[in-house]
Amino acid sequence: MNRRIEKNRPKPAAPEPRGNFSLRAWREQHLYSLFSSLGRLAARPWATALTLAVLGFALALPLLFWLLLDNARGLAGNVGEAGAISAFLKPGTDVTAVQAFAARLRARADVAAVTVKTPEQGLDEFRERSGFADALKVLHYNPLPAVLIVDPRGDPGPLAAQLRADPAVDQVQYDAQWRQRLNAILVLALRGAQVLAGLLALAALLVIGNTVRQDIAGRSEEIAVMQLLGAEAGFVRRPFLYSGFWYGTFAGVLSLMLIGIVQVILAAPLARLTAAYDHAFAAHGLGIAQMLAVLAASAALGWLGAFLAASRHIVLGQPR
Amino acid sequence: MIAFDRVGKRYPNGFDALSELSFALDAGEMAFVTGHSGAGKSTLLRLVALLERPTRGQVTVNGRNLGAVRRRGIARVRRGVGMVFQDHRLLLDRSVFDNVALPLVIAGVPREEMAKRVRAALDKVGLLEREKSAPSMLSAGEQQRVGIARAIVAKPPVLIADEPTGNLDPQLAAEIMGLFGEFQQVGTTVLVASHDLPLVKRMGKRVLVLDHGRLIDDFQPRNTGP
Repeated sequence: MNRRIEKNRPKPAAPEPRGNFSLRAWREQHLYSLFSSLGRLAARPWATALTLAVLGFALALPLLFWLLLDNARGLAGNVGEAGAISAFLKPGTDVTAVQAFAARLRARADVAAVTVKTPEQGLDEFRERSGFADALKVLHYNPLPAVLIVDPRGDPGPLAAQLRADPAVDQVQYDAQWRQRLNAILVLALRGAQVLAGLLALAALLVIGNTVRQDIAGRSEEIAVMQLLGAEAGFVRRPFLYSGFWYGTFAGVLSLMLIGIVQVILAAPLARLTAAYDHAFAAHGLGIAQMLAVLAASAALGWLGAFLAASRHIVLGQPR
Repeated sequence: MIAFDRVGKRYPNGFDALSELSFALDAGEMAFVTGHSGAGKSTLLRLVALLERPTRGQVTVNGRNLGAVRRRGIARVRRGVGMVFQDHRLLLDRSVFDNVALPLVIAGVPREEMAKRVRAALDKVGLLEREKSAPSMLSAGEQQRVGIARAIVAKPPVLIADEPTGNLDPQLAAEIMGLFGEFQQVGTTVLVASHDLPLVKRMGKRVLVLDHGRLIDDFQPRNTGP
C-alpha cells in the first residue's frame, strides 16, 4: 500500500511557468477537441443533417446566382461588335447611291471605317445563321435593305443622331446603347448577387452560432466542471470552435454537391443554347480553385459563427 | 502552503461569510474545517480554489498570492488544487475512466501516460475494475471515490474537499476520510470541510472551527490516527 502511494508523491510545489504547454501537449489537446467535436455531431445525426442542409442551401444559392451571372457576362461579351452603328437604308436604294453614301461617310473625321452590306449579302448571312433557309426559299424577292456598318471614331453619339436624321436612312441600330443597358443590368444583378451572398452568409453565421449556443447550453455542467478542474478558456471553447469548423466545412461540401446537381440538370438545355449561338461561348462551372475557395470560406464562416457564440455564451468561471 | 491573512468575504447581498480569518497550513499538513452550516466552511474552500475572491485580506496558496492572479491565471491556480465536492460532480455521459482522465486531458498529458496515471489513481481508491462503468452505475460511496481519484490524478500539491462524506453512511464516511489521510501521508496538503465533528475528531488531525465566519477554535485532538 505504501509503495503505491509513494509513486503518487506530488511534484515539488514550484509555480508552473506560464505557457509551459509543450508542442506535444498542444497537439494532444487539439486532436482531442477535433475528434470529440466530430463525435458530438455524429451523436445526433438528424439534427446535424438538418443543420447542414440549411447551411448547404444558404451557401449554394448565392453561388448559383453568381455562376449564372458569370456565364451571362461571357455570353454578352460575344454578341455584337462593340460600338458599331448599323444604318439600315431605305429599301430600294440603288447600289450606286449606297456606295456614294458610304463614300460620303468615309470622308467624315468621326468615322473610322464603313462596311457596306448589300441586300444579297444580308440574305446569304441570314440564311446561314438563322437556319431559316427553307422558309426564305418561299420568298420571291429580297426584303432586306442595304446596311452600312459604321465604326465611329471618338464619340459616336452625334454621328448616330445625324444618321438617324438622314432621309436616306430608314433605321439606325446603335449597338453600344443596348450593350450599355445590358451591362448596367448585369452590374445591377451582380451587386444583387453580392448582397444576397452577404445576407445568406450572415444567415449561415446565425444558424451555426445558434446551433453552437444550444450545444453550449446543453453542456453547461461539463463546461462548469472543466473550469473547476482548471481548464483554460481556450480549452473549453475549442471543441465548440471545431464543431463550427465541421459545420462550415460539411455545409461547403454540400453546397458544391448541390451546384453539381444543378449543373447536371442544366447540361442538356445549356448545350442547346450554346449550339444556337454557334458555340461562340462555353458555359462553365466552378474551377478547382474556386471550389477550394468555397470550402475555405464556409469553414471560416463556421469557425467564426462558433467563436461568436462561444465567446458570448461560455460564461467563464470568474471569481467575484 | 495555504495561508489566510485577515481574510474577509462579504457577498453582494451584504452577508459576511468570513471575517478577520487568519490561519496557515504547512506543506503536507492536513486539517479539517468544521462548524455549523453557514459558518463559512464552503466560502473558505472556494477562496482557496479561486472560485471566489476575498473582499479583504490576503490568501496565499502554493506560494502564490491569489490577489495578484489575473483572470488569465485563474485556470493555472485551479490546476494546482484538487477539488472534491459533496455531490461529486462527475460527468454522467462519460465512463469512470474518462471522468478521472479529465484533469490530465486539460493539462495536455500524452495518452499513454494518461492511461497509466488514471489507472494508478483508480487503483488507489480501489475502483480499478470499474474504469469502464458509467458513474450512474456506481454506489454513492464509489462515485465519491471516483471524484477523489479525479481530484488527485494530476498530483496537485493541494487537495480540498467540501463535505465529501455528506451523503454517505458513517462507515463509508470513515473510509473516505481515511483516503484523505493517505494522501496527506505522501505530502499533499489536505483541507477538508465537514460538519461531522465526531468523525473529524476521530481522525486526529488539526481542526479549525468556524462560527459565523470567524475562527473560534484551532486545535489538535489528542488521540491520533483513525
